[in-house]
Amino acid sequence: MTASVPPLPLRTRLLILARLLTLQGSYNYETMVGNGIAFAMEPALRLLPGGRGGDAYRAAMARESRYFNAHPYMAAMAVGALARAELALEDPGRIERFRTAACGPLGGVGDRLVWAGWLPLCSLLALLCFGLGASPGAVVATFLLLYNAGHVALRVWALDAGWRSGLACGPALGRPVFRNGPAILARAGAVVGGAAIPLVVAGASGARLPGVVVIGAVGAAGAVALAASGGRVPGWRAALLFLLLAAVAALVV
Amino acid sequence: MSIEVYRIDDRLVHGQVVVGWGQPLALRFIVLVDDAIVQSDWERELYRMGTPPEMDLFVESVESCALRLPEFDSRADPGLLVAPDVATMARLCSMAPGIRQVNVGGIHHVAGRVPRLPYVFLSPAEEAGLRALAATGVAISAQDVPGADAVPLDDLLARDGS
Repeated sequence: MTASVPPLPLRTRLLILARLLTLQGSYNYETMVGNGIAFAMEPALRLLPGGRGGDAYRAAMARESRYFNAHPYMAAMAVGALARAELALEDPGRIERFRTAACGPLGGVGDRLVWAGWLPLCSLLALLCFGLGASPGAVVATFLLLYNAGHVALRVWALDAGWRSGLACGPALGRPVFRNGPAILARAGAVVGGAAIPLVVAGASGARLPGVVVIGAVGAAGAVALAASGGRVPGWRAALLFLLLAAVAALVV
Repeated sequence: MSIEVYRIDDRLVHGQVVVGWGQPLALRFIVLVDDAIVQSDWERELYRMGTPPEMDLFVESVESCALRLPEFDSRADPGLLVAPDVATMARLCSMAPGIRQVNVGGIHHVAGRVPRLPYVFLSPAEEAGLRALAATGVAISAQDVPGADAVPLDDLLARDGS
């Protein structure tokens, strides 16, 4: 059985967004962020027939508090989709299947985009600021402003996309930002890292311009060698090796 | 190359798979084995959207997977096979005797399961299923990500989840 869905009032939407910021605080090994999903969705569930404390509200809260595990920012899409499904009085079995199926894709997309892309890029940009001589306060502010702008924007979009499409929100994950964004962010991170690390090492070691050039040259040679290896050398090991060589070269020069 | 990891994970295609295992092993394809998902268009679409564009995703039933396993194993690039539960993996192993190693990567809490590791909760039936699978010669260990220590089945079943 499905029913027409009432509009989501702005105040309710803002309450959900505010509660989504607490999602990671609900983490536990048994239900992962399931409790947080229900807590974030609760303002919308007050719109169910019978209102807060009614039978429909209580059943939905119990259902939505069960195990759920996804990327904490992309979970906003699940909250939007599930809130719409609950208000449409969707079949509980279908809701449960969506909850099960959404965990993996929302986790995979979010992990690649944020943990492996956006977070390292923001860290490297802050490092670049440090290498360029910015004050510690400016470095921290750069990181916090960039990173928080990204994840808040992602949550706002994800909640809206989930609410608009309901349980049919899967195609939204096919947007170019999710398909190609992680690779673009990784390349941008490599470029920024390539610029930032020589500057930071030079600054920390007191090397002058020739040392910076040597560090940059060693780094560039390393990047070429890494690319030529065709991925046979684990990237982090190669990066550490070249970083070490660059630091030694800077100290010698 | 071919399928490098046979994994039991109720989250199926998720971050630990596509990033945690996908990047260090340079995975290029994932075989998702689930008899229910193979019949559900929207679920197949959802998992496809969660798979990185550089990886192929094959959604198979147990039977179709057993038939196609030689094809997957003959690929030149590395892949990972994931099943949602012990029973599904046990059925696949019985139909595809070439599987010699199984990784328990994530079985999470529902009523009736007890914690063995923070990411492995097992019911008595599932524990019996894992023991029966091991008795056929399949090496079973629990390991969520490649950087973590693999916990052999006997150790896993002796743990209390702490």
